[in-house]
Amino acid sequence: MRLPNRHSLLWKLIGLLAVLCLLVVSLQVDVSQRIQEATARLPAPTRQILTDYAQQAEAAWRERGAAGVDEFLNTLRAREQVWAVVVDDHHSLSSQALTTLERRKLDFVRRIDWPVGRPGGRPTFYIPFSDGQSRLVMELPLHLDPRKDNGRWNILLQHVLPASLALLFGVLLYRVLISPLVILRRQANALSAGDLASRVGAQVTRRRDELGELARAFDHMAERLESTVVLQRRLLRDLSHELRTPLSRLRVAGEREPDPGALRQRLEREVQGMERLIGNTLELVWLDTERPSMPVEAVEMEPLWDLLREDACFESGWSSERLPCELPAGVWVLGNLNGLAQALENILRNAIRHSPEQGVVRLTGKLEGDFWHLCIQDQGPGIEPDKLEQIFLPFTRLNAARPGGDGYGLGLSIARSIVQLQGGQLWAQNTTPGLSLHLRLKVYKL
Amino acid sequence: MHAHPSLPTARRILAVEDDPVLAAHLDSHLGQRGFDVTLRQNGGEIVELVRAQPFDLILMDIMLPGSSGLEVLAQLRRHQRVPVILMSALGAEQDRITGFSQGADDYLPKPFSMLEMDVRIDAILRRVAYEHEVPGTARNEDPQLTFDEQRTDVSLNGQWADLTTTEYRVLETLVAHVDEVLTKAFLYQQVMHRAYSRHDRSLDMHVSRIRRKLQAIGYTAGRVETVRSTGYILTRLAP
Repeated sequence: MRLPNRHSLLWKLIGLLAVLCLLVVSLQVDVSQRIQEATARLPAPTRQILTDYAQQAEAAWRERGAAGVDEFLNTLRAREQVWAVVVDDHHSLSSQALTTLERRKLDFVRRIDWPVGRPGGRPTFYIPFSDGQSRLVMELPLHLDPRKDNGRWNILLQHVLPASLALLFGVLLYRVLISPLVILRRQANALSAGDLASRVGAQVTRRRDELGELARAFDHMAERLESTVVLQRRLLRDLSHELRTPLSRLRVAGEREPDPGALRQRLEREVQGMERLIGNTLELVWLDTERPSMPVEAVEMEPLWDLLREDACFESGWSSERLPCELPAGVWVLGNLNGLAQALENILRNAIRHSPEQGVVRLTGKLEGDFWHLCIQDQGPGIEPDKLEQIFLPFTRLNAARPGGDGYGLGLSIARSIVQLQGGQLWAQNTTPGLSLHLRLKVYKL
Repeated sequence: MHAHPSLPTARRILAVEDDPVLAAHLDSHLGQRGFDVTLRQNGGEIVELVRAQPFDLILMDIMLPGSSGLEVLAQLRRHQRVPVILMSALGAEQDRITGFSQGADDYLPKPFSMLEMDVRIDAILRRVAYEHEVPGTARNEDPQLTFDEQRTDVSLNGQWADLTTTEYRVLETLVAHVDEVLTKAFLYQQVMHRAYSRHDRSLDMHVSRIRRKLQAIGYTAGRVETVRSTGYILTRLAP
């Protein structure tokens, strides 16, 4: 499996999850350790309470001896529900002697500033009297145990904290992943509702992850869709306009032309024109929408020019000397023969149409790296510099005075589409005098 | 108006066309040209009909009501080798690249003129007639050129023209029919064994190269000329 690139969402997701895990673990370890430390010893108020008990016991002992201690212990046991004794070394100071069990218990007592011991256990503390000999020994009352809240802390740390963190990260992840998708969905809906200009926009397309890729693909698709629909709308509009012209001529001729021979000629001419118009328009639409892959082959330019020249001379009545081929020997390009022939034919027709009396249209070419740069140059008036790109748009006729009979302005659009489909380029430039059509075609290498 | 060679005995043509107006024109036009025309409006029972009676050629629309012409063609091809010309208004564009008429002998994009149709029909019938001839009877005779069948090349005074195999076949066919107009449809059928479409320039390219190569070796006894919107002819030139 190939790893996705470094801007991939994968890394973002992995990073977020890793951070989540680390946070949960470290928080838990750290906080529980702090709680442990904080609850390991008795806090000062608790110590004070125990010390107070010891002072009361001492006072009782001093004032009334064993009877006083008995009374004190009874009161203490009743109040705190704990085991407690007052001893002098290992002898009880009360009237009750120590049992064996109690005696053993006296071996496991701790001072009040010592740690409380294992969790779950009930520690026993001793508080010495002022003489340093006797002392009060008592179990820690439950309500004074500093660890009494640890259970609740544990639930918080082990359940509530990870759940809240997961929730937080979920929201974060949702914002990272879903908000661009929301934008995409909105634009897709707009697109399907007919708003062809809708785009996702830079906010998402500049992302370098998969969502950015998706957004760029979406914008590209919308762009293609828009250009195709716009082109087709234009073509339909122009085509219907162009078709009405020959149709109205035919209708008038049908009503007014008395000579059947002339009518027939007119009919033939107009039908041919309409056929060509429809054929060219459909071809342009086909080239634009289908983007057919044109199989490429080695094409030798000189014989190709020969046959195009022959056709052109027949159509225009030019002599072949007026269409010189000034290519270096052995120009082989990589292209589709039929497509290339059609593109060059359209360019040539256009050049001849705009040539002056006795004008010359020449084909020249030079090698530029992996490309042949061919140039078809006429001696016509050229065109205005700002119209140089416009001539490749369908139904563009710069000379509006001669519509219809002068071609339909589709030839150069078709030529450009064909050349581009073969991986070449076609553009126009003014030269003095005339217009040059430049073609860049891949070199065929043996 | 048509300069077609006269064909022996009435050839039988089956025309399958659903448009009654075009069908009527096809019927009367082909009938006038001396063909025995059978007309059908749809693709049903075509296979049975062809099995029952022999036809020399079938002219069929691709889009027929009830069935696709291509399916009918595929069924026909399972049993028969009868030449088929497909007609279609699907457009010539696709055909140039995809060749969806594969399996048919020729393809006529609509609208076409009757003249165009005649050329295609003649080209196919002529090719079929040649196929029945004894092979090896071609007359490769030329006052200047020496034909080398092994090498598929011609020479003049020991100088080879460097023709490719296809160029050789085209030239051979032109020489065999010297001073006779050969239609592009026929040359495609005969030499390149495929249908001719209006945008196909490969034959023109071959002829263009042949001219250059013959000129390079100094051939003067003839000239390959273009007959506008028809085809090519090899014209003998006086020495």
